[in-house]
Amino acid sequence: MFNALRKRLFGDNQESKSAAKSRLHFVLVQDRTGLTNEEMAGFREEMVKVIEKYFVIDKEGFDVKYHRIEDHTTLLINSPVIVRRAGSVSSRPPTPPSSPTPTPPTEQPEEALASNV
Amino acid sequence: MNSRSGTSGANKDLGEVIVICSGKGGVGKTTTTASLGAALALRGKRVLVVDADIGLRNLDVILGLENRIVFNVVDVAKKICKPSQAIIKSKRSNNLYLLAASQTDDKDVIDEAEIRAVIDQFRREFHYILVDSPAGIEQGFRNACAGAESAIVVTNPEVSAIRDADRVVGLLSSKGIEARLIINRVDFDMVRRGDMLSVRDVQDILGVEILGVIERDEQIIVAANTGEPVSYNPKSKAGQAFTRIAGRVCGEQIPIPNFSGGSIWSRLTRRLGVAS
Repeated sequence: MFNALRKRLFGDNQESKSAAKSRLHFVLVQDRTGLTNEEMAGFREEMVKVIEKYFVIDKEGFDVKYHRIEDHTTLLINSPVIVRRAGSVSSRPPTPPSSPTPTPPTEQPEEALASNV
Repeated sequence: MNSRSGTSGANKDLGEVIVICSGKGGVGKTTTTASLGAALALRGKRVLVVDADIGLRNLDVILGLENRIVFNVVDVAKKICKPSQAIIKSKRSNNLYLLAASQTDDKDVIDEAEIRAVIDQFRREFHYILVDSPAGIEQGFRNACAGAESAIVVTNPEVSAIRDADRVVGLLSSKGIEARLIINRVDFDMVRRGDMLSVRDVQDILGVEILGVIERDEQIIVAANTGEPVSYNPKSKAGQAFTRIAGRVCGEQIPIPNFSGGSIWSRLTRRLGVAS
């Protein structure tokens, strides 16, 4: 929302710092995890598959972030869940298939793995 | 974990050893070492600045002491001279001393144990020992970190310098050395235009405490030309910034201008929860 306002005020191409930010995020993910681009893409793909086994998710909103907190890097996987997939958990009664009013995508950290880098 | 103000450590009589590093070359490590050393000395602290960039010494020139060097850090390590013979008093302050690097030796001529032993010999005499690390993350950097309790990582608000700073912060943390950040050469006009990463951007990316912000300042060049650290120039914005940083190193709570006090812009973006 605020970004949109800023873009309207200053014009989209004027902020070279946003390019710096996204390029930095890209190289730092590589540097901090020690994974290549291909490995990162593979990791994302497999994570999406695992989560999709249990949930219907908004793939567009799927995001992997790396935060340094004190002396370790935390992997934060954010996956907006649209609805729980029917019959995904065998021990519980299945949710009605394709509910007429799917709950809106809620952003919540799906999984947080702490790993020392 | 370690003594930040020199009072919470295990031994109150020993000075605090801080390594100044960056990974990338040319971001202002040596200028920071000299200027922070001078600013701490102006506060009445006894300060030793050590040039650990063996083979490419520069701290002597920045301090205007290039014509006074007789012995250097390698001579102390190899016991060619007494420690007291190798340190050179600065021109402007009785509190600021330099231990120069050797210009003719190679980086591998001393190891981490030797440099730690050298530094330990001075820890009773000085409140602060600032070690100017060479660029890179190889042996020279490891030597400079030996014996350091904390680190100041110097960076510029640009992609390559921040990337290298991130790498160095990671390496320091694996050694158990706490890092604080100085962002050097900030141009606030460019930040306002959106053409330079802001202080908050850099902190968000690196996740390291900000110790200080140095505005781009021509007086840094003038100071290097004359060999008088910029901290002696009260009109220089960079000099004022180093004076504030010295206060923070001594444990004072001094807000960072254009950051925590903040411009209208930064206050607005923070209230909206936007990392701008």
